[in-house]
Amino acid sequence: MIASFRGETLKSRKRWANWILFGILLITLLLFGYVLSYVIFKNPPRNFQSPVPASVLIRRDFPENLLPTVLSSMSTIGAAIMIILGSLSTASEYGWLTVQTILIQKPGRVAVLVGKLLNLGLITLITSVVALGLAALTSYLLVSIDGSSSAWPSATELLKGFGALWLQLAVWTAFGMFLGIAFRSTAAAIGGGLTYLFVGEALIAGLLRDTPGIKEILKFLPGVNGEAVNASFRLSFRSPNAATQLVDASRGSITLVIYLLLFSILALLIFQRRDVTAG
Amino acid sequence: MAQALAVETHGLTKRYSTGVLAVDDLDLRVRTGEVYGFLGPNGAGKTTTLRLLSGLIHPTSGSAIVAGAVPGSPASLARLGAMVETPAFYPYLSGRDNLRVVARYAGVPKSRIDPVLKLVDLTDRAKHKFKTYSTGMKQRLGVAAALLKGPDLLILDEPTSGLDPQGTIEMRALIKELKQGGRTVLLSSHLLNEVELTCDRVGVIAKGKLVAEGTVDELRARSGGRTLRIHATPLEQAQRLLESFLNPDQVRVIDGSLVLNVDPAQAASINRRLVADGVDVSELRVDEQSLENVFLQLTEAPTQPTPASGGGDRSGKVEGNK
Repeated sequence: MIASFRGETLKSRKRWANWILFGILLITLLLFGYVLSYVIFKNPPRNFQSPVPASVLIRRDFPENLLPTVLSSMSTIGAAIMIILGSLSTASEYGWLTVQTILIQKPGRVAVLVGKLLNLGLITLITSVVALGLAALTSYLLVSIDGSSSAWPSATELLKGFGALWLQLAVWTAFGMFLGIAFRSTAAAIGGGLTYLFVGEALIAGLLRDTPGIKEILKFLPGVNGEAVNASFRLSFRSPNAATQLVDASRGSITLVIYLLLFSILALLIFQRRDVTAG
Repeated sequence: MAQALAVETHGLTKRYSTGVLAVDDLDLRVRTGEVYGFLGPNGAGKTTTLRLLSGLIHPTSGSAIVAGAVPGSPASLARLGAMVETPAFYPYLSGRDNLRVVARYAGVPKSRIDPVLKLVDLTDRAKHKFKTYSTGMKQRLGVAAALLKGPDLLILDEPTSGLDPQGTIEMRALIKELKQGGRTVLLSSHLLNEVELTCDRVGVIAKGKLVAEGTVDELRARSGGRTLRIHATPLEQAQRLLESFLNPDQVRVIDGSLVLNVDPAQAASINRRLVADGVDVSELRVDEQSLENVFLQLTEAPTQPTPASGGGDRSGKVEGNK
């Protein structure tokens, strides 16, 4: 397991695609999560209409709102990037047939996949740390530029927020990894994963969340549960767009952990039993 | 005393979900320290067998012991180096980095990398990306990766595939070199010449079944061994005469010559009989049965045991006498 983990870390580190994904994630977070919103709220257009004044909305970019801002920004783009990362980590092995090269080394199949999981866990951990760190730095710079004052979240809150971010990124990475093994095709895994995310979670769950019957089904979706966890980190002002959550944060966290285990175990079962052939 | 076996299979069978029976009740025995050639036409089941032995696919039935353990288990893999079908590596990594990845998985120190790169003559190109490699270089990197663990058993699937003549000669020399020190090599090929030049024993597989096993000489012998070729005039008269005192099945006309499946020691007496009967004999020579002919005979009717196999042995094995 440690042997395959070491092999995985080397591959991940040397793969440019991973660094590009990492860069896209951070740039998107900082640009759309902070810089653009600050510029808009600082100089709102004449036709700007909102129940909450722009001078209040701008505080979402300040340290007091670090956790809700990062979590909401990462819930879609972070999930998408992590699905791609997870898919690449497994589906590429089938595309290049390198899966057979690693399977004829010493570790057994379980150890190989657990090594992969540990490596992806490490990547999501680093991503969470760097994303939160850069967001904190940006919010500090913005509040300084603005000449305002803002309090940082408590250490406990920071820890909880970090845990929530890591958990969600890990769930989507495991989902991508599972799809990569199930489909053995990078295009199919990424296409399937992103379609589910944007159509299944964002569109259908968004439109039908108040429909009786369907609402009960939506309560089991990973994105809906992640949203509930994120909503427990409240903004310092009352947001006009705050939606009613279908589940509470505790149930959301437990459901996400179950999904993490489910995707990992399913991936493991398929990986262990399936023949490795060239076709 | 029975010789130790590096590979042993019992009734190994693989039927894919598509219904294709790729390997059918295969009993294979590869002795420790030998170079064993696994010969068969394309689609005969060679690669499927090697995948089974490497633990990449699971058998439908039957069992195998590879390097003393169940295929695919860490105990078996620790002593096995394999290159199955295509050398598969990460295109974005250099040759050396690919070997670093393999070394990490295999749990071997990276100090092993330079010696194997040198052995396959890839040191100069080690820092270049795998995707820039020629077919021959990819093949050599595959062998280097298989050697990284210093395995007791080496499985090489068509190792000279795609190599130019020089590369083929070098690969053969490398295989012979690898045999030194008691290493077992299981080599699959559809190139008869390659097997003849490098292998101690040969197993012939056709339609998933092992149809013959033995040394190259033994396989030749069971398929007729050496023959007498006679160029005589008139041909018909010579043929009638030979069929009158030999078994007619032993006399064939091939390309205007008579080919006799008899002991070459009879050459002088046969010549005397022909001349005495007024037949002009312009050429009489002993022909070695080519491995190609043997191969064709064996693989054309794979499930029919030949008389030479004797004793109702289903697989038609010829036990080696090493």
